[in-house]
Amino acid sequence: MNEFLTKIAAILEVDEVKESDELKAFPQWDSLSVLSVIAMLDANYGVNLRAADLGPIKSAGDLWRLVQSRKRT
Amino acid sequence: MNFIFRRKRISGILTVVPANERSFVEEMRNFNFPEARSLKLKEVMGYNKRRLVEPHVCVSDLAVFGLQHLLERGLLTRDQIDVLLLVTQSPDHFIPPTSNIIQGRLGLKQDMLCLDINQACAGFVVGLIEAFLLLEQESVRKVVLINGDVLSRKTSPKDRNIYPLMGDAASLTVVERDAEDSVIHANLKMDGSRHEALMIPAGGFRLPSSPETAVLEDAGDNNLRAKDHLRMDGSAIFNFVQVEVPPLIESLLASAGASMDSVDYFLCHQPNRFMLQKLADKMKVPYAKMPSNVVEHFGNGGGATLPIAITFNLASQLRNGHCQVCVAGFGGGLVWASMLMRLGGLSFCEMIDFA
Repeated sequence: MNEFLTKIAAILEVDEVKESDELKAFPQWDSLSVLSVIAMLDANYGVNLRAADLGPIKSAGDLWRLVQSRKRT
Repeated sequence: MNFIFRRKRISGILTVVPANERSFVEEMRNFNFPEARSLKLKEVMGYNKRRLVEPHVCVSDLAVFGLQHLLERGLLTRDQIDVLLLVTQSPDHFIPPTSNIIQGRLGLKQDMLCLDINQACAGFVVGLIEAFLLLEQESVRKVVLINGDVLSRKTSPKDRNIYPLMGDAASLTVVERDAEDSVIHANLKMDGSRHEALMIPAGGFRLPSSPETAVLEDAGDNNLRAKDHLRMDGSAIFNFVQVEVPPLIESLLASAGASMDSVDYFLCHQPNRFMLQKLADKMKVPYAKMPSNVVEHFGNGGGATLPIAITFNLASQLRNGHCQVCVAGFGGGLVWASMLMRLGGLSFCEMIDFA
């Protein structure tokens, strides 16, 4: 989880992202960041998400749980 | 679907790009985004310079310019052209086929086949497959495959999703029978259920262009475009390429009994540098073997970008020697296609500016 949050923080160009942080509240959360997150999840976790999958996601923790559920299936 | 072709070869490739160059930095103020984010986009995607036609230039103009270049230099003669195969999504008119317009403008013979094919970014591979099939006929000695699009004319300058990557271009590839006993493997897949990922909604018979379809609408994420404009679901296309292309190429190499290491170059359609580097990572191909530098110099001109990757990066190698290459195209349709062949000994392999 920590490693995951570090990777998200790097994409959003901030020092730290917490599990409860709302992703859409970051000013850098735009289509470019979404694409970067999708690429990062594919490369590091073998999970292929679409931008639409991220629609209902609120916090960084929500995204982490979505990735974990996709990894199992 | 798998294909095998015997005794066929590419004998020359010419690419034509408009002389008119635009720069991302000059145009990024059109977007409703903070400048820092646009610069980040430039850095990640590899956007920089691109070539666009003037608003009145059509595909037949680029094609005639390129064919005249070949005819004037004796690299091709009029009577050698038995087939003019044009792959485009931006025809001059709905009727007649643009390949016939090109034939007429150049005064080519009547005893020939002119054929338009509507294909997007996989159009180079699909066009080669069609050219090889036609060369089975004894009466067909040379096929001139033209890939060309001027789709910058159908993109919204206020759509950061697609505008900064678009380029205009054409390529002319001469395809003929090979005296050597060569074998070319190809495969392709199509999925029309995902056709909305890349489309121009209006302007055809389903939704004719009207004052309403020309109105700029908020497409979300601060991008503005009209129904007359080309739209792309960027993340869906990214996902499509990462999921579908690696297994396609694996399967191609398996049916050809070839290893990844035996391939000198993986020459792909050029959507942007980011997507190609992620594809190379996934396929464990070194970046040097998969060029991704077309968009930063010329923009993405659809089916002609793959030939541009060849003429821009490998011109002298392919005129003076041979390489084992895997070419792969992917895009609207959706369509993904790949081909494995020995490419080289080309009588011409060059780029020219259209002015």
